[in-house]
Formats: sequence, structure tokens, C-alpha cells
Amino acid sequence: MAIPIVPQLLRAHLAELAENDERHDGRARWESRNTELEIGVLRNAEGSAKVRIGDTIVYAGVKFQIMTPYPDRPNQGGLMCSAEIRPVAGPNWEPGPPSPESIELGRVVDRGIRESGCIDVDNLCIIPGEKAWQVILDLFAISDDGNLFDAFALAGIAALKSAMLPEVKFEMSDSDRPLPVSKTPIMCSYHKVGGRFVYDADGREELGGDERIHITLGDDDHVHSLQKGLKGIFTENEFSEIMEHAQSRCKELREMVHNAEEAD
Amino acid sequence: MGGYGDVQMIDENGIRVDGRGPGDLRPVSIETGVIPVADGSARVIWGTNHAVAAVYGPMECHPRKIQRQDRAVLDVRYNMAPFSTTDRMRPGFNRRSREISKVTADALESVVLLEMYPRCKVRVEIEILCAEAGTRCVGLTAASVALAHAGIPMTDMVVSVASGKINDVVVCDLNKEEDNYGEADLPMGILPNSGELVFLQMDGDLSQAEFQEAWNYNMEAAMVVHQIMVDALKGGDA
Repeated sequence: MAIPIVPQLLRAHLAELAENDERHDGRARWESRNTELEIGVLRNAEGSAKVRIGDTIVYAGVKFQIMTPYPDRPNQGGLMCSAEIRPVAGPNWEPGPPSPESIELGRVVDRGIRESGCIDVDNLCIIPGEKAWQVILDLFAISDDGNLFDAFALAGIAALKSAMLPEVKFEMSDSDRPLPVSKTPIMCSYHKVGGRFVYDADGREELGGDERIHITLGDDDHVHSLQKGLKGIFTENEFSEIMEHAQSRCKELREMVHNAEEAD
Repeated sequence: MGGYGDVQMIDENGIRVDGRGPGDLRPVSIETGVIPVADGSARVIWGTNHAVAAVYGPMECHPRKIQRQDRAVLDVRYNMAPFSTTDRMRPGFNRRSREISKVTADALESVVLLEMYPRCKVRVEIEILCAEAGTRCVGLTAASVALAHAGIPMTDMVVSVASGKINDVVVCDLNKEEDNYGEADLPMGILPNSGELVFLQMDGDLSQAEFQEAWNYNMEAAMVVHQIMVDALKGGDA
């Protein structure tokens, strides 16, 4: 990613707004932008979802491959999750091998899904030691206006929940079956802007902000992944405040995933 | 993949596997403004093809060595998303996408008034999210709409369509089976206002008469698609 010029004026403006507990687009500190989720949007993917948060738009697609299980885990399939942010997504994203930013994105989303145990890898074994399903979740951004993390995580879990194992295509049975996904891990991201954390930072807040924190919570509020990114220092009190908000927001987003599933 | 002509894809009444007649296009719909952070953008849904194109610029030209003193550089990239195909596509450039990026750039450079922006760069990004057949045509068409949407001056928009031959019958706008098992494929990039061409490829086997028939199908289809492009641009953003 090209390093964008951070205008000092923008930083000063955001700090000034923060003093009055305001944000540049009029949102409250813990308020998100309008969030939309659609599933089953791409025909060639075995599972797919599109998420729009404000002007950030991402797709997630699930594909399956047959893999040879790892020697130490002969009864398990695999999950692979990768994020791609191509230059289509914004003026600062460049072509070439995956940038550190997109690798971090893919890995943080991957951890949240993997560690929640929502995909039972034992269930993906076809012939022990010989054949197993590999689930590949590809995250693809087409418009980046901040908070790609939450958009990717939401699209990712929704795409997995709508995925069908292509047993017909691989001549294994007469009908495809849904990929069993037992939980709905949800990520919430916070950015420090003007000296205090806000939820769902947009592109300008990310540009003029400091560190960020990502939290993935499972169905029972269990914590499955955390990540602190970028330069900055935060306190225990700040973190508890974020965690408290994440618990309520994750419930709302989980509800959104369930509703989209039912509508599909 | 089968050999030529060993899959029956058109019946004695001239009805194709997806129910179309020989001269029929797949359904095409176009929207503009689908990528809010871009300077211009378009989505084209053509059959089950789904392509988005974004335009950024005119902007400062980096790296410096590609800069031109007398005109802008058009930086075109065509790419397929990993989940766009039946079998997962490995991310990153390959020989096919590089060739398509190049011929797409060659076509667009013929219409964009690059000399109006010396030393600048205009980026055109084409992403195929779902592929059926004819993605290079869909991508080029989407890129034209996105350039127009970005307000980049052009002499005309490029409309791209492919016709071909299946079971010895010339048909318009090949779908996936027809592309895989058909006998010929003729993609063209047409300037609808003058009937001139800026993009032409072909592979397969066509007699002179069949070639003319496929050519004519493309010309007729281009006019239909052009109207959809104009309506999308006049209709405002999604």
C-alpha cells in the first residue's frame, strides 16, 4: 500500500471534534455506519456474501478443494482464509504481491473463525489419511473507506454459513450438503481517533487516527481473537470500555447474519 | 474438455442450451457508481458474468519512468477474483490476465483522449467476480462505462461482444458450454457511433461466410449493449 500523506490539518480537526465528543460525519462515538449484508450473491462460489459498511464494500467467496490430510492429523480437513485488496479498492492500494496490510487482515479474520471452532475440521475428512475437504475462504475488497476488518469478518462468516459442499461436482453423492458451521464469530474494530477510541472508523478517521484494536467474540461472548495494530498506547480502562461495547454490538451483527441466512 | 462438435448444444429448431435463439444476447444489466471511493465505476452483469470496473485519475504518474511527456498513461489491469470460476483461481497475475490487460489497454487507448493529460496516469481496474464466458468482453465494456462515468474524455465508448460457432451454427454471445465445446470464438470491440473496431481476436475455425455472419451478429449486438450503457450513464448512480 502506498503510504498516504497524513494531513496534520485532518489530525487537528479530528482532535478538535473529539474534545466535544463528536465525529466528522456526525456519528456518535460507538455508532456504526449503515451496514448491509447479502448472501449467495456470486453463482460460481460455493458460498458467498457481500457486505457494505458505509462506502466500504467487500465480497467473500468460499471454494472447496480436495486435500491430503496432514500426516499428524489424518482425520482432519483444512481451512484457509486469505484477503486480497487489489488496486480496484482505492487510490492507495497497489498491484503486486500481497501487502503486509492485507496479510494481517486475512490472518486476523482467519484466527477469529478458526479459533471459535465454528468449523468442525473432523467433519471434513473423506478418507482418513488420504482425502479431506479444504475450505478456502477468499476475502475480496472492491471499495475501501475504512474498517475492512469488520467487513471481511462479517462477509467471511456469512459466506461460510451459506456454503454447500460440492459433492455432486466431485462425484461423491447425488446432492450437495451444507457446510456445517456451528457458531457465528463476530469481529468489532475500534480506532483511536483524536485521543479516544471510536467504533467503525471510516477512511478519514483511519488516516488521521492512531492505533486500532480488533476483537472477535463467539456466540457465548467468549473471546476468540484480539489484535492491536499500528503505533499507539492504550490503557486497561480503555480496553474494558471497548470490550463492553463489543459484547452488545456483536449480538446485533450476529442477529443480522442469522436473519440473512433465514432470508436466503 | 471435449473435441469439436461432440456435444450437442443447439437443437434442430435453433434453440440453444439456455433457451436462446442463434442471434440472441444473454440478459445484460449495467449500473454506475458501484465503487464509491473511485473516480468512476461500473458493474456489468451479463448472463451470470459479474464484472466491476473502477477508474482512478487522472493522477500523478508513478513510477516516473513510465511517464510520457505528451500524453497520459493508461494503466489497465484485468483480474479474476479467486472465487469467480468453477475451480478456485490462484490469486495473482498469470499469462492470460496479462494478455487480456494488454489488449484491453490497446483498445481503450484508441478512444481515450490521452493527449489532454500529459505526464498523468489513468488507472483502469477490471475485476471479474463471477465468470461465465466472454469475461474479456464484459470487462472491456465495464471499463468503457467506468471511464465515461469518471468523466474521462473519449471519442466513443467501446462495446465488446463475442460471437462464435457451435455444432456448425453461427451464434451470438457464447455462453460457458458453447465457449468450452464450440468450434470458434470471435470477440470484437466496436465503436458504436462509427462501426469501427479497436479490439479483435479470434480462435477456432470459421468459413468466410460464417466469419461474416459472426461479424454481423457482433455489430448488431453491440448496438443493443450500447443503448444499455448509455441508459445506465444517464440514469444516475446506483
